Amino acid sequence: MVIDLDKCTGCQSCAVACKAENNVPYGSPEEHERRTAPFWHKVIAVSHGEYPAVSIDLIPMPCMHCDDAPCVTVCPAKATYRREDGIVIQDFRRCIGCKYCIIACPYGVRSFNYKEPEEREYHRPDLPPDRADRGVWPFPHRVHGVVEKCTFCFHRIDQAIKDGKKVGEEVVPACAEACPARAISFGDLDDSESQVARLLASRQWLRLREEMGTSPKVFYLPK
Amino acid sequence: MTQDFVTLDGKSRGYQIMVAVLAVLALSGFISFIISYLEGHQLFGGSNVIPWGMPVVLAIYLIGLSAGLHILAFLIYIMGQDRYREVIRVAVFLAIILIFGAMIFIALDLGRLEKFWRLFMLVYLNNMSSMFAINSIFYTCYFISAVIYLTSLLANMKRFSMVMGMVAFGWAMLTHAGTGAIFGFIAARETWVSSLSPLEFIFAALGSSLALLIVLLFVIYRVTGRNLSQDLITSLGGLVKILIIGMLILMVIGELTHLYSSADEATKYMLAGPFSWLFWIFLIGIGVIIPLVILFHPRAKKSMRGMVIASVLIVIGIFVKRYYLVIPGQAYPMQYYPGKIEGVWGALGSFNFAPVEIILSVGIVAFLALIFVLGLKYLELLPSAPEPTAPETEVAETAATAAAIEEKSEE
Repeated sequence: MVIDLDKCTGCQSCAVACKAENNVPYGSPEEHERRTAPFWHKVIAVSHGEYPAVSIDLIPMPCMHCDDAPCVTVCPAKATYRREDGIVIQDFRRCIGCKYCIIACPYGVRSFNYKEPEEREYHRPDLPPDRADRGVWPFPHRVHGVVEKCTFCFHRIDQAIKDGKKVGEEVVPACAEACPARAISFGDLDDSESQVARLLASRQWLRLREEMGTSPKVFYLPK
Repeated sequence: MTQDFVTLDGKSRGYQIMVAVLAVLALSGFISFIISYLEGHQLFGGSNVIPWGMPVVLAIYLIGLSAGLHILAFLIYIMGQDRYREVIRVAVFLAIILIFGAMIFIALDLGRLEKFWRLFMLVYLNNMSSMFAINSIFYTCYFISAVIYLTSLLANMKRFSMVMGMVAFGWAMLTHAGTGAIFGFIAARETWVSSLSPLEFIFAALGSSLALLIVLLFVIYRVTGRNLSQDLITSLGGLVKILIIGMLILMVIGELTHLYSSADEATKYMLAGPFSWLFWIFLIGIGVIIPLVILFHPRAKKSMRGMVIASVLIVIGIFVKRYYLVIPGQAYPMQYYPGKIEGVWGALGSFNFAPVEIILSVGIVAFLALIFVLGLKYLELLPSAPEPTAPETEVAETAATAAAIEEKSEE
């Protein structure tokens, strides 16, 4: 995934689209203040300097899907693992809720389900209730007491591969689809013809917290 | 040197009242656990900034208290210090209860308790690069070897208990070093990451558990009319002194390493932020400096009262050390991106003391105290008293005080 910070306006469509696509509970303002509301995708605002010489960077933050993910290293139950295509997935059936991955994640992209969610479906309600399209989701609905996180909308990607569609052009994750400024691009980094590969070749890019050595798979194009 | 061991009668009114009180507290703890399991962890004080709360604080505290007690076995069998033999049974029994309690607390901290068994699938279903999974092996082996050791002690199997004592000692040290590694190996938390933390945990564990043992022995011997030898306590105190100094040295080196690094904001927050009084007053002041002054004082170190006061302070201080490591240690927000992160994403984590969490913690500690008190009654743990006519009425008070100490240290 490549996020062009020059195009990003900070409208938070990506965060909202993610909540809608994956049925992530919204949470009350108090829960948000207390940081117990789950977020799979968030937009942080980072300020530099004092008024009037101030600038704001808006950083959309999905899961970084690190190559060397600390959460995968620390998970005792193999609930978090990295798929062969590089997507880091959380298996809710295995998750015991020890929260060690939240501790270990340097990006704070993981959320714990602090209460029994009202929005119990993980998947889009408009899709047929066929278990086959749910991939590895083990539970038909979510429960409290497990950790969840961004999946790069793997259900879309898996479906697209099954249907023979092109991932990255015809089918993208919900956040990329919703972005009005087309700041988020998605695709196969190994494919030199893909849009993400071309963007990374043409522009300077950065990744968050490189010093952690996690080699994230979300790249940012600076302003 | 042979020593006879006896059980407590446990028929006095005070004893029964105390058992009843502890049972009620334990029951309230279990009820609050059931509520928290049904309602989710929203009832606890934690959040996604501070995901680990009081159960984890108490778990690592109890693991430390438990693991350290096995140094007595090391002293008896390797160093030939036979004078500790009279307290070894109580110590091992206490260690087993404490590690059991630590495992209960770890289980209660899990979001899905019914999947607790997954931690103990050892190599089969576990990710063996996780310190949790490695620790589950340590906990299992430690618990089993400590139980076998206690059984061999109760059955008076001399040679076998010596072997098991060493095995249990080894697993105890690994257990607590592994617990330190759970924290020390996390690169994302700059206040935690430290290769010293396994060693530091071991030193803190040995010091605090011997201090707890001194306090409990004092109370139990006093109210059951036994004669606690000054020599024994003074020598234990000497050990505690060395261990606390060792812990202090490791802590100073660890914090200096954190401060020397350029990414030192979180450490500065810990050492000079709004919660730094916990560190300076309770941990360094009450937990280290005052006990060390007492333990070095030429008269106080030979008096029973001085030793007991120093031990109580150490037990409290090490609890604050755990609390301080876990809760303010997580509170400082991570720097996802250079600059000042606005809004809740860059705010300091807040931890509020939720009633359910507190009742649960107190209840489980009461449950442990209950097992301990019942153990004194049904197992031959205490050395036989010189005068068999020792007043038994105050036994209840003993255990009540012991429970009170544990609960006090828990707050």
